[in-house]
Amino acid sequence: MRDSSDMGESKVLSAVTLAGVAKFFGTFKAIEGIDLTIRQNEFFTLLGPSGCGKTTILRMLAGFETPSSGEILLDGRDISRLGPNQRPVNTVFQNYALFPHLSVAQNIGFALKMLGRPRPEIRDTVEDMLALVQLSGRGDQLVTQLSGGQQQRVALARALAPRPKVLLLDEPLSALDQKLRKTMQIELKRMQRETGITFVFVTHDQEEALTMSDRIAVLSNGALRQVGSPHEIYNHPVDRFVADFIGETNLLTGKVIRQDGDCAHVVLPGGVTIEAQCPHAVSAGSEVTLAVRPEHCTLAGPEAPLSGFIEQVVYFGTDTHFHLRLPGGAPLVLRRQNAADGRALPQQGETVGVALAPSATRVLRD
Amino acid sequence: MQSLTDLEVSLRRADVRRRWWLSLPAMLVVILGGVGPLLIVVVYSFLEAGPYGDVVWKFSGEGWFNVLFERDIFDDTVSIADAHLTILWRSVKLSGITTLLCLIVGFPTAYYMASRGPKARGLLLLLITVPFWTNLLIRTFAIQQLLRAEGLVNVVLMKLRLTDTPVQLLYSDFAILTGMTYVYLPLMVLPLYSTMEKFDFRLMEAAYDLYASRRKALTGVLIPLVKPGMIAGCTLVFIPCLGSYVIPRVLGGGTNLMIGNLIELQFGAGRNWPLGAALSIALVALVMIGLVIFQKNDRSGGDNA
Repeated sequence: MRDSSDMGESKVLSAVTLAGVAKFFGTFKAIEGIDLTIRQNEFFTLLGPSGCGKTTILRMLAGFETPSSGEILLDGRDISRLGPNQRPVNTVFQNYALFPHLSVAQNIGFALKMLGRPRPEIRDTVEDMLALVQLSGRGDQLVTQLSGGQQQRVALARALAPRPKVLLLDEPLSALDQKLRKTMQIELKRMQRETGITFVFVTHDQEEALTMSDRIAVLSNGALRQVGSPHEIYNHPVDRFVADFIGETNLLTGKVIRQDGDCAHVVLPGGVTIEAQCPHAVSAGSEVTLAVRPEHCTLAGPEAPLSGFIEQVVYFGTDTHFHLRLPGGAPLVLRRQNAADGRALPQQGETVGVALAPSATRVLRD
Repeated sequence: MQSLTDLEVSLRRADVRRRWWLSLPAMLVVILGGVGPLLIVVVYSFLEAGPYGDVVWKFSGEGWFNVLFERDIFDDTVSIADAHLTILWRSVKLSGITTLLCLIVGFPTAYYMASRGPKARGLLLLLITVPFWTNLLIRTFAIQQLLRAEGLVNVVLMKLRLTDTPVQLLYSDFAILTGMTYVYLPLMVLPLYSTMEKFDFRLMEAAYDLYASRRKALTGVLIPLVKPGMIAGCTLVFIPCLGSYVIPRVLGGGTNLMIGNLIELQFGAGRNWPLGAALSIALVALVMIGLVIFQKNDRSGGDNA
């Protein structure tokens, strides 16, 4: 699919443009038909399950792979045939790939040394970078003496030191523990703002993508599924894959009765008709898939047309999940935020009324 | 340590005792096979030469004296033993060049092997060891067959009209270098391969990504990190080269002696066993000095990096 952003505007702001990019390894298709515009100064995330081609795209941006067809433009210049050492793009590697025989400062100054910058400039930049990643005073240590989180910071500083136009990050947080990862997510966002460098982040963790990104591209099987802001991706997934991959989603099947503009009336297997968002045209009588987030389902009184049998109640502290069975046999998860008053909640085995917010229920494209 | 109970102390003692017993066979082999013969050689180097070879059991410094000096048969004037020094220098020179050639050929070979998939690696490793399946002497004769006047190399050269008459390749330093490089190359490749196998090739990608040229990535990242393998390989090639006997004998003819041939000469036609023994010990000492210097350099190099 095409990048939904306005092409006229993005031309001015674009940092990286991929046009019709495909990559084959022998007969294996890694990615195909990728058209993508990454804007300047944005935190852009390539999100998808393993094997979706996101790492291939990153490696092509870095210069480790050349596209089989199509071109990659950086500031309007085709860079797809340039080597990794010829393009102003740097990478933070998944395993950090720090040079174990060099000190922290020598690692950070490596690129500047390779570029032949004068020594005082290298020393100053290294100091600035150490301050940026909060490792001031540790320049003389060996990288092998640092903890995982500190190594991560050195890898970031090393890639940022030559001030690249684009910084690529290949799942850099995957080796960190949960708590450190949360801290680094915020840190990364801060560094991106402070440096004004375009970040291209690769991850399979949808939560990470939603937290940090300005825009997200969702990939599967070597093709782009959707490009948009975290809000768009989460609330308006275009297809079943995106809806299922990002966050928790209830997928319901139903038959279209009629469509009024963006609103479709769909009858569920249990015979209840509900309204759902449907920006694309569907014909009456066709089978469609509906997506609705658990937090957009609410408990309603017994007079509500749709009812559900409570099979399980799971308490999560902040909220409670109700696993319901709808009349047609379809499962539905409903999330309810817990109130402080400790009011009695419906219990397992009860039948309750269910309301699906029409604005948050969407008919998916197949 | 003070918290150890009596039981733990005695258990630990038993463990140490058991380890001694377990290492006894290896110790015996080292003592009987390594230290013992060397001691015999040391003793022989201080004895008097017998008239028809062998030694006379009488202390004499003549063997060691003859390593560096020679006494004229007629007027007993003492002069520096030029021949010995020449041969010694040739041995060091040829071994050094061989080590360098092995490094130049072996480094890319090991790099290629280490950067293949695990399956290909196993096969390549097997291929590297193929020469070990055959006796050294036979392999040296094979090289001789290639280099002789009617050998493959000369035939090809003449067929290509690069030369009309066969080129004299055999019985030269060139032939010795060819033979030693061929024979000792695996000893360079194997330790290099084993360090490169542990090398994280993503570091090369990181170097390229950070604007390093191929040459800079090689000298700034790969070489410092595989240096231990290079040192091990150079040591493993240089030492046997220095003492090599068969290769210079077969490929160098009678004129291009190395120190190994000189030693053999003393035990054979020269009938001067003490001199042969002294030369052997001198060689051992030389190698040891070389190793100590090498190790010292390596350690200081490691500190700087």
